[in-house]
Amino acid sequence: MEKIVEGSTRAFLTGNETIAWASLVAGAEFMFGYPITPQNEIMHYWTRLAPKYGRGFLQTEDEISAGFTVCGAVQGGKKAFTATAGPGNVLMQEPFGMAEAMRLPMVAIIQQRGGPSSGTVIYSQQEVNLTTFGGNGEGYRIVYSTASHQELYDYTIKAFNTAWTYRFPTFILGDGYQAKMREPLELYDPQEKGITLAESFPLVGLPGVIGENRQPQHLNNIYSLEEELYEKVMTFSAVFEKISPEIVEYEEDSCEGADIILISHGVVSRAARDAMLILRSQGIKAGYFRPVTLRPFPDEALKKVILQSNAKKALIAESSYGQLTRLIKQSIYGETINIDTLYKPGVGIVDYDIINKVKSIL
Amino acid sequence: MSYREVFVFPNNGQDRIVEAFVGEYASGKSEAAINRALELFSAGQSVTLVDLDTVEPFYTIRPLKEALIAKGLNVISFSRSDSFGLGETGAMLHPQARWTLMHEGSLIIDVGYGVHGIRTLNLIEGAYESPELEIVAVINSCRPMTNSVSKIVDYIKELGRIDAIVANAHLGDETTVKDVINGNMIITRAADILNIPVKYAGVDEKLRDEISKIDLSWRIKYFTRYMPQAMW
Repeated sequence: MEKIVEGSTRAFLTGNETIAWASLVAGAEFMFGYPITPQNEIMHYWTRLAPKYGRGFLQTEDEISAGFTVCGAVQGGKKAFTATAGPGNVLMQEPFGMAEAMRLPMVAIIQQRGGPSSGTVIYSQQEVNLTTFGGNGEGYRIVYSTASHQELYDYTIKAFNTAWTYRFPTFILGDGYQAKMREPLELYDPQEKGITLAESFPLVGLPGVIGENRQPQHLNNIYSLEEELYEKVMTFSAVFEKISPEIVEYEEDSCEGADIILISHGVVSRAARDAMLILRSQGIKAGYFRPVTLRPFPDEALKKVILQSNAKKALIAESSYGQLTRLIKQSIYGETINIDTLYKPGVGIVDYDIINKVKSIL
Repeated sequence: MSYREVFVFPNNGQDRIVEAFVGEYASGKSEAAINRALELFSAGQSVTLVDLDTVEPFYTIRPLKEALIAKGLNVISFSRSDSFGLGETGAMLHPQARWTLMHEGSLIIDVGYGVHGIRTLNLIEGAYESPELEIVAVINSCRPMTNSVSKIVDYIKELGRIDAIVANAHLGDETTVKDVINGNMIITRAADILNIPVKYAGVDEKLRDEISKIDLSWRIKYFTRYMPQAMW
């Protein structure tokens, strides 16, 4: 079979197409999906590519089924994924919850669109709450918030590895702008780069005989008694907290000695970094902090950055109305830094939006 | 009674240009279409630029509409303000687009992407019967689906009728002279196999100085890039 990516090559792609290629090189075997803008071209490109490389696709009758079929496929040992947005993300919370309860290594790509409800098909950062803590549980999920096509490629590969290493549902949180933008990036074969791809393995139908030479495999999402569930949830919490330091990722730049720290995530962080550089060139000491993982959140890193910077103010910029702020406040509880906000729900944020806001509050 | 007996497409006795640009996302078809329209306008023609992307109309030339009208083009496309309040029905075909061929002067049509994109030409009354229409595939060899001679040949065969090719090897802002030369050589070889003419190679205006020093066998058109302004 033809090699998917020969050597390392620069290519000009949309974000959605990037994800299809990344899933291929990550060894994804099956995509289940239901159409919704702005993620449609992930499905379009996957369905064009999958037959050439012996991979599969099923369009289900709705998002609920798309999520549950991924739950089924991963139990059978297949690297499977789905992609959705907005109202589709709402519908998929049920299967995402099952994946938490059964520790299923599912991967989901979220290309955020505007909300509430059908909102817009275009862009937002309003699916942070939903993607990090959207289920009827404690949010045992791993969420990577990407900012560029290169990151969409790198983190999609990583998401499959994270899911199959830690067995928690793993998300790529992109957005409609990243989905549609065209950008150059490096396509590569992860194994040629020294990235080991995590092996998939079946969770059911295991060899051996129950009671004779192996224990039963209990993949359970419902319990008879309160105490049974309690024990499970407490175990999940302990595991999640233990692995969190291995998973958290963030970016920090020029925070030491800064007067103000600019905090943002995803595509907005590109504007924030540019804003930081421009402000510095104008003599304003700005710093930059970006959580890459929104769940688990880089609590300790952010607290340390605030402490070491001596900054009196932080500005949180997001294309939603406080969803990132909520995560940050929860994360840095007890810190006395003043928090200002720039909220543009469902609307893009450019460097000068941030620069003007900084100048208005310093 | 045939369609052509009912409608007469006016061309004022002049040889007008009617070109439809098709290609993948990120091939550069919108950029090629805009540049071609402005080129014809500069040459004194009346030019209508038609946005026929019904797949994702929010990300096409819509945000540039006003700026292109200000440059002198007639643009058939919804503007952002036209779409306000329409919700997802804002993704419909502009009624004027259906009657594109009835407009006087030269016509440049920016068609939606891929195999399905080319089928949207059937939304234009009389498109396939028009002796004027030239369907131009824009090919970017810096895309993994069209990065080799055999892949380009397969891709163009999938598209169906293609009358000409614009070789548009590029990596956006990162495009180098090497990308242009190597990429367009691949595209030209594929075009030779298919026996489809390469109209020209599209090259970013920023590379004009370097490229113009090199003796290349193909015709070059330098593109000013407008599409980066179409986001946000």
